[in-house]
Amino acid sequence: MSEMSSDKTTKTDRVGVYICYCGGNISDHVDVEAVRNRVEKMPGVAVARTEMFMCSDPGQEMIIEDLKSGKIDRVVVASCAPSLHETTFRDAIKRAGSNPFIYEHANIREQVSWVHHGDTATNKATVLIASATAKAKRLKPLDPIRVEAKKHTTIIGGGVAGIKTALDIAQTGIEVTLIEKSGILGGQLNHLDRLAPSGEKASDILQEFLDQIVNYKNITIHTNCIIENVTGYVGNFRLDVVTKSDNKKFNIDTGAIVMATGSVSYTPYDGEYGFGRHEQVIVLKDLIHILKENKSSGSVLEVNGKPIKNMVMIHCVGSRQIPGIHKPKENGKLNEYCSRTCCAAMLNASNQIRENFPGTGIYEMYRDIRTYGRGQEALYTQASKNKVVFMRYEADALPEITPSPLPDYPLQVKIKDSLTFNEEMDVPVDLVVLATGIEPDDVSGLASMMKLPIGTDQFLLEVHPKLRPVEFPITGVFLAGTCQAPMDAGEACNAAGAAAVKASALLRKGYIELDPFVAQVDIDKCQGHGACVEACLKEGALELIETTIEGKIHKKARVTAALCLGCGACAAVCPEKAIDINGWALKQYEDMVDAIVSDGFAV
Amino acid sequence: MVPTNTKNFDTLVVGGGIAGLQTALDLGDQGYSVAVVEKDASIGGKMIRLSKVFPTLDCASCITTPKMSAVAHHENITLFTYCTLNSLDHDNSGEDSGNKFPGINAPGVKATGLKALITQNPRYVDPIKCIGCRQCEYVCPVHVPDMEQGGLSATKVICIPFSNAIPQLPMMDIENCMLCGQCEKACPTNAIDYFQKPERFIITAKTAVITTGFDLLPVRDNVQYGNAKIPNVIDSLQMERLLAPHGPYNRVLRPSDGMEPDSIAYVQCAGSRDKSTGVSYCSRVCCMYAIKQAMLLSGSLPLADIIIYYMDIRAFGKGYEQFYQNAKAMGIEFIKAKVARIDEGENGQAQVRYELQDGSGIATADHDLVILSMGMIPAWNPGAICPVSKDSDKFITSIKPKISPVLTDMEGVFVAGAAAGPKDIVDTITESGCAAMEAAKFMSKRLVEN
Amino acid sequence: MKTINTDKDRDRDKEAKKAAMKELRGVRKNLIAAASATMKLQRKELAAIKAFLKAEAATIPQIAAAIDMPTDKTLWYMATLKKYGQIIEAQKEGAFFKYALNEADNPPKKAEA
Repeated sequence: MSEMSSDKTTKTDRVGVYICYCGGNISDHVDVEAVRNRVEKMPGVAVARTEMFMCSDPGQEMIIEDLKSGKIDRVVVASCAPSLHETTFRDAIKRAGSNPFIYEHANIREQVSWVHHGDTATNKATVLIASATAKAKRLKPLDPIRVEAKKHTTIIGGGVAGIKTALDIAQTGIEVTLIEKSGILGGQLNHLDRLAPSGEKASDILQEFLDQIVNYKNITIHTNCIIENVTGYVGNFRLDVVTKSDNKKFNIDTGAIVMATGSVSYTPYDGEYGFGRHEQVIVLKDLIHILKENKSSGSVLEVNGKPIKNMVMIHCVGSRQIPGIHKPKENGKLNEYCSRTCCAAMLNASNQIRENFPGTGIYEMYRDIRTYGRGQEALYTQASKNKVVFMRYEADALPEITPSPLPDYPLQVKIKDSLTFNEEMDVPVDLVVLATGIEPDDVSGLASMMKLPIGTDQFLLEVHPKLRPVEFPITGVFLAGTCQAPMDAGEACNAAGAAAVKASALLRKGYIELDPFVAQVDIDKCQGHGACVEACLKEGALELIETTIEGKIHKKARVTAALCLGCGACAAVCPEKAIDINGWALKQYEDMVDAIVSDGFAV
Repeated sequence: MVPTNTKNFDTLVVGGGIAGLQTALDLGDQGYSVAVVEKDASIGGKMIRLSKVFPTLDCASCITTPKMSAVAHHENITLFTYCTLNSLDHDNSGEDSGNKFPGINAPGVKATGLKALITQNPRYVDPIKCIGCRQCEYVCPVHVPDMEQGGLSATKVICIPFSNAIPQLPMMDIENCMLCGQCEKACPTNAIDYFQKPERFIITAKTAVITTGFDLLPVRDNVQYGNAKIPNVIDSLQMERLLAPHGPYNRVLRPSDGMEPDSIAYVQCAGSRDKSTGVSYCSRVCCMYAIKQAMLLSGSLPLADIIIYYMDIRAFGKGYEQFYQNAKAMGIEFIKAKVARIDEGENGQAQVRYELQDGSGIATADHDLVILSMGMIPAWNPGAICPVSKDSDKFITSIKPKISPVLTDMEGVFVAGAAAGPKDIVDTITESGCAAMEAAKFMSKRLVEN
Repeated sequence: MKTINTDKDRDRDKEAKKAAMKELRGVRKNLIAAASATMKLQRKELAAIKAFLKAEAATIPQIAAAIDMPTDKTLWYMATLKKYGQIIEAQKEGAFFKYALNEADNPPKKAEA
């Protein structure tokens, strides 16, 4: 590589530096104009400009004009974290007709203005820009890596989110395989009856989906299957699957993967609100089952042959837990989140009971009623009309369940009701129903196989809730439904549609372009030591091959670009410096460090 | 005038807020041609006007501007801003379906596309010539309330609506223009055109997605909160402007006299969950934005007392409950009470009279600044414009709320975001993806069936 | 096709434009009268604020009292003057900020939204 030998041919002196105010997010703490004045004088900087929002159209136009006029041939934008806007500016550079990889980002918001103030902030911003500029001078135009992509998607999980994702993707002409670990499709919908708020039957909804999916020509369904391993990369993943029944193994080659692994219902610990100690304490899922099966008429609801004169519904069991107040489960974790669906489901059940069995009295004990969704507030109003009694408890004074001293009732619930002067009251009951929350199904195995992030709440974690809500940082892997957060059926279907649209857009063309920041071997310098292959973190990304040069056989390192992580472990160990990372070359690091320690800029 | 100018697209997106932008991007990325019709002079909707957004506290601009920019530069997306939708219906004219369904114009196949009549409202500025330099705005001598800043400061009769607007075109408010000709003189490219007329055109499309968003209930209609006559009682969108770094005062001051407020109160469910205002439903986002604003306030005014009067805190989304608990830990005071009325108090203060939920009676408190979390209502009424149905809550009806909430009762017409009921940004973006998927499915299915 | 604009052509266009403007002024007569009145009042009030600030920086209540203007209206003007770069925020006095004339007084490129 001759271009590596001479500084003159690899360094440009026409860097354009663009510094963002971020509408005050940066300029409230960094003296942006002072930074601009210093940057302007830095060697190799052709222009230095500022803008209220660099990501806005006027900001991008500035870059485009400077590139088109030939004033600059490298771009540095100093603004927020590159995760937000790196692609925005690369696209702008592309629109100017330039190579998008002549771009470097300096993060002066998250790394500067949000953590430093005054002169410290202004100086650090200057140093970061100096270092980014030093690196930019050695940026080379690069071409994205194009990989063939299999027009096939695998959906993991056959609940409502998985089914909807499969149907949507298949409709665009992409092959779909759906893998379900249990024997049946439908997930949690199988355990539900009339759905809040409008009362559709869960079984009808499921049937509508099943009718469509079972005979759909592009969709293959595997139930009772476990995924043992996932390898490969976007466009070319391979799943090793095994059937539970006869241990038969098979592979699926697929272009994209959608996680729709769903959720389970929280199981109260032994003794939580008397659960497991008193048979009259049940969870909401049990009550829904009872109501579904119940054929009895009469004015009083009967459970296990016993009339229910009075019952208590306790909200937020296994949800909204507070450290120091609630008892963690064995894994030490608390469910600090709201499970979102239980309020409406509880009110729905209460209304059904009060309307069909007026002789059964209901007390709902809640912290906040969260009937947020369309039509849900009407359930709450209806429950009040149906004379459901609402009592409100605080997180630090949870209701207590004890045997009742009254002969007619097995249990009583003690509550400090903040709706009536915080008075303590005992409610005698025949039945206690716990609104148990939603927990993600345990997919830690799959997640670690695919390196998928899991949030502190144990749910799978998307890249960004607003910018990329159904995507993982691993390109080609998406998520939908309650594996991400509690959702009701409609919300899970929305998420499924969103995941489907992203997966289809990705695979539509049959190829995918990846960032070119991967290792490159200088064949002339490579002596075939193989140290790089040993250091390589990604199996298959780097190998030694035999090649014939002038009649002699030599060993040389070869990079599989699509697999390379661009981590640089190889570059660190090569004794010949024969391998380097495109866009992150060692020389660039040296220049960056020089710029940081040269200290001259930030005074 | 009979409009003859017809433009054909795969999908018409009505509304250029975050829902419309996301829908357009997701369809454009699939290779469909998309028209976005927006009533305002800029795309970006309510979101671009916000300060920061919960629960991540990203600045709203940082999330919205790249999406706006991506839409503006997308090869498959065309923007029509400052336009009025006059009608949207199935095209039963029996005309040649043109290239709406390529290859399927066999005899007997009825064209079932959609047809929209649109008016481009005049900006009195030539969009081709204008370079967005704002010279016209600087020289214009007439000041008018800047509604982009909640009316709390002024702008000029001719102005670009806000700094990161797309497109960067000024528009003239001729109701307040005195035709002095200064802008015309100042314009370096002769872009001012006092004689511009509305222009009508037709968009035909195979599908449409309605993403018309929401408005807040106007405070002026609300006698119990002072009919917008008490200067220090403002609505939550005005508060967003006060908190935005490039807001009217560049800091939080009370509008009556510029004092830095020491006691700030939020009135939750102002008009929501309240049959008397016609909004019996929950507006879904007010709890979270009030908490977010309170957190931002306690950052900029660490000594101020911040109180939230509420009935139920509805922190139901991913990370929301933790956000709420953080706010409590920061010292923001939550009082379970229903605010009955607000009156002008002494020294510019507003007097809040509230009923405590524990049954202990009525109490009053004086605050320097009161923010009303007004209920959300639909921003668009299909009325005589479009035969799509709306529900009793006046938002567009979703015919299959469990299977696909974006389906309406009009074939080929979908809905996303707050047009189908109050919704936060996270849920809106996801729903927009789903709407794009359903529209794409509808179009590919059509091709196969025919 | 016309290739060169003669002086005559230009004059004719100018005349036509003038006539059209005259007609437009006639049509919008009432609006223009109202807008002119607003503008005159605004100019007077803005001048009063700026004249007062020439002496020293002041808070909104101080300015309002001095020029006999409601405080909310004074703040509205101050926010506007600040937006167009004619005043700057000065030091704080109690719970109020003072405002001062901007020596530079030029419309900054980086005006806020």
